Amino acid sequence: MSLYRWLDRRFELDPLVRFLQHKEVPVGTHSLFWYYLGGLTLFFFAVQIGTGALLLVYYQVGEQTSYESIRFITTKVPFGWLMRSLHCWSAHLMIVSLVLHMLSTMLLKAYRMPRELTWVTGFVLFALALGFGFSGYLLPWNELAFFATAVGTDSVKAVPGIGEWLMQVLRGGADVSGNTLYRFFALHVVILPLATFAVVGVHLLFIQRQGMAPPRGHAASHGMRFFPDFALRDVLLWLLCLLLLASLAVFLPYGPRIPGVEWELGRKANPLAPAYPGIKPEWYFLWVYQLLKEFPPHLFRIEGPRAALGVVTVLMGIWALVPWLDRRASREQASPAFTDLGVAAILFIGLLTLKAWDIGGGAAAQPDVRAVARACALWTLVAGFAATVLRFAFLRHTWFVFTGAVLLQAALHGFAGFSYLGASAIGALTAATGVVLSRDRSTLAGKPP
Amino acid sequence: MTALAMIACTLAAAAAESFPEPIRPFLAAKAKDGTKVLSDHDIEKLARMPEHTRQLVGAAADSMILGSANHLRILLSLDLSPQDMELVVQDNCILCHSDPGNVKPRALFSPDPAKQGSNPLLDLREFVSDAHFRRGLSCSGCHGGTPKDESMSNEIGKRWPKEEERHSDRSWIPDFCARCHSDPAFMRGFNPTLATDQLNKYKESRHGMLLLREKDPRAAQCVSCHGVHGIRGPKSRKSSVNPQRIPDTCGACHANPRHMAGYKTDSGEPMPVTQVPEYKASVHGQALLEKGDLGAPSCTGCHGSHAAMPPAVASVAQVCRRCHAMNGQLFDSSPHKVAFEENKWPECGQCHGKHAIARPMDALIGDRPGTLCHDCHAQHARDNAICDKTSARFRAALDELSSGRAEVAPYEMELAEKGLDVEPLSRAVSELDEALLQARSRVHSFDLGTFEQAAGPAGDALARARQSIAAAHADHRLRQRGLLAAIGSIGLLALGIALKLRELRRRRDGK
Repeated sequence: MSLYRWLDRRFELDPLVRFLQHKEVPVGTHSLFWYYLGGLTLFFFAVQIGTGALLLVYYQVGEQTSYESIRFITTKVPFGWLMRSLHCWSAHLMIVSLVLHMLSTMLLKAYRMPRELTWVTGFVLFALALGFGFSGYLLPWNELAFFATAVGTDSVKAVPGIGEWLMQVLRGGADVSGNTLYRFFALHVVILPLATFAVVGVHLLFIQRQGMAPPRGHAASHGMRFFPDFALRDVLLWLLCLLLLASLAVFLPYGPRIPGVEWELGRKANPLAPAYPGIKPEWYFLWVYQLLKEFPPHLFRIEGPRAALGVVTVLMGIWALVPWLDRRASREQASPAFTDLGVAAILFIGLLTLKAWDIGGGAAAQPDVRAVARACALWTLVAGFAATVLRFAFLRHTWFVFTGAVLLQAALHGFAGFSYLGASAIGALTAATGVVLSRDRSTLAGKPP
Repeated sequence: MTALAMIACTLAAAAAESFPEPIRPFLAAKAKDGTKVLSDHDIEKLARMPEHTRQLVGAAADSMILGSANHLRILLSLDLSPQDMELVVQDNCILCHSDPGNVKPRALFSPDPAKQGSNPLLDLREFVSDAHFRRGLSCSGCHGGTPKDESMSNEIGKRWPKEEERHSDRSWIPDFCARCHSDPAFMRGFNPTLATDQLNKYKESRHGMLLLREKDPRAAQCVSCHGVHGIRGPKSRKSSVNPQRIPDTCGACHANPRHMAGYKTDSGEPMPVTQVPEYKASVHGQALLEKGDLGAPSCTGCHGSHAAMPPAVASVAQVCRRCHAMNGQLFDSSPHKVAFEENKWPECGQCHGKHAIARPMDALIGDRPGTLCHDCHAQHARDNAICDKTSARFRAALDELSSGRAEVAPYEMELAEKGLDVEPLSRAVSELDEALLQARSRVHSFDLGTFEQAAGPAGDALARARQSIAAAHADHRLRQRGLLAAIGSIGLLALGIALKLRELRRRRDGK
């Protein structure tokens, strides 16, 4: 206690301690589970910083050293294999918890006034996490990373006006080379961490100032003290996740060997070697990768990749601006359209990701595209109908326009022989018609029909 | 609709004006059934050609040698490059002989001779792929006359013997081809790397002797192997002298019992016709034809091409030594060398065979009945204890090493999947493979000391491989124990926190 007093006399800690003692988590009829996801993402980020720092002790960036040093870390450095495996597993689990955190915020409308900027900073953190994944993928300088980065950076060319320039800035030249490796390393270990620390700081500051959001319509009956009650629960979950991480690192050190979730070192990158078929990005980029594949080389005189990236940009823009688009939630009214938008987004991304994995295509090198479309559509329809039934039965949801549009798109593409884009166009028209027709319906106000 | 039709007509007229005047009537020409002779695709192909090429096509049409829309359609169907199209339309021989309205089927060059009922050698598509045509040498180069002749010149055919003679006696062909191919100064202008000694070699070959000395018309000469109007270089996969097509080219005669009837081997036996199927099933045939290993020998690899000759007993082993030099050296210093010479046995062929050389197996070696060593020694050198001991040791060591390799190799994948360090194992397996290869080669020394120089390191590499597997398994056990310890300590901490939370809840409930 004397140390605390010594510090208190110098830094006036008492107000801070009083603030923390009074900090509370809203408790009501809603589940507290959703409140742990942000902290869990932060825990995985901390694991990334720790394991990343240890890897940095031995990692030597460079065309002649990156691959060799990673091989040295995984084969010769004591527990080097464990650090790399923890780093990779934690990276993927961090994205999982981040996505769940964002989806729970979306579905519980926690972004509503006055927390719009908290949502926006969260969206920026999501983009930064994707940047971490993209830049870190190249650092082992192995074959898979090289070609995946070549494909990934090439797609940047589709940005109108500055695409070529942007690609050259990313690559440090016309092609993926040692220059790319150096700048991706700088991005991964300096620029992105500094940016993330800053944005995480702002994100947490907003949460401290505004408190955690109770779900709309669930008034908090009382609060749970953050210290020690909620914090201890947080730590308990982190410990369980640490156990999970350690077990995965020991039993599946190179990942579950699913395309986009594997990190076996393989062969060293050879810029002169031809690219081999089946190169895929990490799982969270797969839906964009598949969307790029679904577009023809040209669509209405626009280059296919440019049109596909345009669609992705519009969708991400809508996602980032949801707090302002969902005006009902800001007025503390029900906004079932945006709840349904969240569910539809999961199904939309799920269908594309399944297709990227060639689900239903068997083990053939060139799977039958129709069989893949059928199997992926079937899984999407099953998941979509199950979600709809559960929402109707347990949550009393009655607005399913967006979900219905995605399920129609999946059915047309999988079972009626429509191309993906044709089915998507019909799905989008259906969604637009559904929105217009139901604008003034009582369902939008959350009243039962 | 009328306006649209007028616009379409105007556009079509504007497009037609971009073609030379003599070929414009061809663009609109119609067949008997009313359909256009030249499709839009044909016209597009013509339009995409350079202006100069189109002018030359126009000049050919103007001279009436390019006589009809159908004739132009045939030429366009060949999908020629502009350079080749220019060669064709400036060569009156090709133009006349490819016009179905001008020559009878027996002299008609067409893209599909079978459909036209003409000679299969008159394949226009093959002709425009010919190595000579592509270097500017056309019909007149062999047949006489000039490409500018507008009618059949008297010079045509004068270079060759009369028709009734040239089919019964083919001995004029090598000299005819050699007019160019044996002239270094002439050939340098086309391909400076091409040899010009083919005729001299051919004269010394068995084929050359039969044709030139015995006037045997069945003996192979230049066109038998290279073809006539579709000659391609050996690098082309379609070429009859491409390494992978040589077995079939040679087999056209050597696997044909009717063609080979009457020919005898050096020993006076009828010439066999089973070489090609035997070769295709052999280790060399599979390497060349199935694995695409162009280093593997085909017929010409051992027999030679222009100087083709069956290798005699004394020289056949030297042929094998061109690739298998190490084994040859070991054999030369072995006690078998003298014995084989005394018995006039072909060295390699005695154990490995000739055309049907199978992949050598360890099972061929040993002192047990059924092995090559035992069966040969039982017949020619019975009860030799040293030989029996040597062959038994060879077999035992090779069996042990190869079964050891089969035992350790799968661990590479298994340990790698567990994330363990497989580098020492991979290195040991590579060393084992190299030493095993050496040991199998040293069997040809038929000497235990020489053999052990390779078998010893192979045994050491196998031991190192087993040690590295044991070390990797120990490392994996350590990882699992470490995980258990981590689970225990983290679990205890978690339990402590859970108990603390319960206490907090009870305390709050008590209040």
